[in-house]
Amino acid sequence: MKLEYAKITMNRRSVLRGASALGVAAALPATFGSQAYAADGNTLRVRSYGDMSTMDPAHSVGVVDEEIHGSVYNKLIQYKPGKEWGWQMDAATMIEQVDPTHIKFALRDDIGFTNGFGSMSAEDVKFSYERIIDDATASPNKPDMGSLSHVEVTGEREGTIVLNAPFAPLWSIALPYITGNIVSKAAVEAAGGRIGTDPVAESGPYLRSNWAPKSKTTLTRNPDWKGDAPAWDNIEILPIDDENTAEIGFEAGEIDFTRVSLGSVERYRAGVPNGGTLIENPSLYYLWVGMNLDHPKLQNKKLRQAIQYAIDVPSILEAAYFGAVEASTGIIAPGLAGNRAKGLIAPEADFAKAAQLLEESGETNVSLTLDVINKTTFTTTAQIIQATLASIGIALEINVLESGAFWESGSNENLQLILNRYSMTPDPYYATSWFTSEQAGIWNWEKFRNDEFDQIHKAAAEETDVAKRAVMYERAQDLMEESGAYRFITHEASPVVHSAGVIPALRPDGLGLYRYFGKT
Amino acid sequence: MVKYTIKRFGLAALILLVAVTTMFLMIRAVPGDPVSIMLGPRATPELKAILTAQMALDQPIWRQLLIYLGGLLRGDLGVDVFSQRSVSDIVFQQLPYTLELILVSIGWSAMLGIAMGAYAAAHPNTMIDRVTAAISVSFIAAPAFVVALLTLLVFAVKLQWFPAIGAGEGFADRMSHLVLPSIAIGLSWVGYIARLVRASMLEVMGESHIRTARAFGLSEPRIVGIYALRIAILPVVTVIGVGMGFLLSSAVFTEIVFARPGLGKLVIDSITTRNYPVVMGSVLVSTALFVISTALADLINAILDPRARADL
Repeated sequence: MKLEYAKITMNRRSVLRGASALGVAAALPATFGSQAYAADGNTLRVRSYGDMSTMDPAHSVGVVDEEIHGSVYNKLIQYKPGKEWGWQMDAATMIEQVDPTHIKFALRDDIGFTNGFGSMSAEDVKFSYERIIDDATASPNKPDMGSLSHVEVTGEREGTIVLNAPFAPLWSIALPYITGNIVSKAAVEAAGGRIGTDPVAESGPYLRSNWAPKSKTTLTRNPDWKGDAPAWDNIEILPIDDENTAEIGFEAGEIDFTRVSLGSVERYRAGVPNGGTLIENPSLYYLWVGMNLDHPKLQNKKLRQAIQYAIDVPSILEAAYFGAVEASTGIIAPGLAGNRAKGLIAPEADFAKAAQLLEESGETNVSLTLDVINKTTFTTTAQIIQATLASIGIALEINVLESGAFWESGSNENLQLILNRYSMTPDPYYATSWFTSEQAGIWNWEKFRNDEFDQIHKAAAEETDVAKRAVMYERAQDLMEESGAYRFITHEASPVVHSAGVIPALRPDGLGLYRYFGKT
Repeated sequence: MVKYTIKRFGLAALILLVAVTTMFLMIRAVPGDPVSIMLGPRATPELKAILTAQMALDQPIWRQLLIYLGGLLRGDLGVDVFSQRSVSDIVFQQLPYTLELILVSIGWSAMLGIAMGAYAAAHPNTMIDRVTAAISVSFIAAPAFVVALLTLLVFAVKLQWFPAIGAGEGFADRMSHLVLPSIAIGLSWVGYIARLVRASMLEVMGESHIRTARAFGLSEPRIVGIYALRIAILPVVTVIGVGMGFLLSSAVFTEIVFARPGLGKLVIDSITTRNYPVVMGSVLVSTALFVISTALADLINAILDPRARADL
């Protein structure tokens, strides 16, 4: 083979041309490599709907903080991953309810705090729990601790949790969730009593190694962790508010685990990109139409019942939720004690009965308002309700409110109908707590006042027999529905997707327990 | 020039004061009790009282304003009531992300737009001029959010050439994370700038000093690139300065679509949670950014064209 070399001339223009070509060539591998941004083999990348606000469990604002706290702190017990609510041992080697107000526990002896704050002791448990209920801490999570009185330290790693009164949610909310995180007494005291956005001492299988606000929180394997080794070296938690953006990130291979929008469920049912998997979970949200019992226009029970029967829940689920969710029977989600197999009123509208009730009410030319928050799902729901009520002759005006104005509705005396959505922790006590007489005008916007309901709420919190509790909460929801002030719609759903290499560990409502995530 | 600069920045400070005061009053006019919204369903009367006092919401509005302005004079933007972090830290941590997005977007769009506009003006009424016009108008007409989604689906999801979300770490990674967001923001600016430069260039090319340059036998690229473009670019500088406000608002949606950190996302999150100190801090810095950029545009114009100094 004969090679001929052209004459090479070196001038300013050719040098510039050559330099440009070299620059482009150098940039190509960095920018045009397919799959260049897929998750690293040892790093799990998950999406959170918000950014961390504090490393202090006492001031945690909920799930977003707990996703991090749950991996870097330990609790006596943790939620057990799976389809049914339950708990498993974490820092405790033994925990036992010896009587309705005393719970004995013993701690593992191999858990240490970082930054030289020593091993975890019963004093740390006492300090962590008692600072939540101490008014000086001003913890918004104090109600989760219910009737906690104090913790008695009986040994270096043994103690007894003492309650003022029996409190069943201790096992489902207080110990395995936000308030159950155990912090180091010495470290918190050294920090002046409050933990900010940086951890003062950690003890879990992961350490929070970096926090880039609004961008990323990085958890790194704790080298001193003596328990079961976590599967991933690093976990990156990305705060992404918008579910559609998160879906694009997942499909681009940049996220391994995320909740997806209900509107995308049908698409993912047909196939998840990159060999991923869709998991559909029930959620703990509950959506309902409430009626303000104090409003002069809604004093007639027959009118309220007519509205209950005229609202067609399946139409709402089809139009606003793309058929991806089930109708609810009350405020207590499936899987929890007290979830009713069926409500008093079927999800399907009964227009004949609604018209008959309206006639019996003697009300004519009824016109009402429905307040709704400015989210597409809820405004669509409101439009369906408007259409179905119109079919029995009730005119409905929809007031679409910005979130700030909407969440002030409790003090709005002119409130008539409202489309509302609350969430709950996994205990029925949390759901009924907003509908007591004491909450009327605060979070009980229907001003529903019922002595029997109030008594059930109090007694069921103290009842430790699960079956008995279930019957009590079922009755409480019957009372709500009988009042004519509520039309229950749905608990929504919590669909999540994960990439091929991930074995997720989820609560029954689809929230990730990242410390337990595995990999194939 | 020094006197001009002092006067221009004095005016900028006044604009900033008026903007901050207006924003302060507007935020307080938004319906909804901020303390209840911040604390959510777990708000007890005691907690509400503590937070109300912390945020000075129990004071008359005029006193709240004085407290805020007093803090500003001391360089204190306040404290985030959730995290107890300094608002300055929070805002200045997010500012670089927004700045780099805006600068890269306007940088590439200005380079391409000026080149397209100048080339079209140098070849008026030719096929290349018409093609450039069609491309420019198409770019202007393309909604930024559509461009964002299309580029995401094609270049991030389908081809996986560029990252879809986040801001990246390290120079090269950060640059690659800027490609798609800056295309989304900058594309319409290419069209605007190209049309503006073309119109301005055609006007300048007809002026007597250009004819004189031609008469002296200077090359056409030299006339266009040095003598005509220097004058024709003046309106572009002004438009870019004023356009900072538009770019900041574009950054809000871009930061959400691309899940990027930045001032826009910070403002939205803070307004939703009624986190007044952070809202005010973010708005103050964005307003300052806008005021400074317009002042700088005026100064650059004044440097390039001494006649502009007489306008103030």
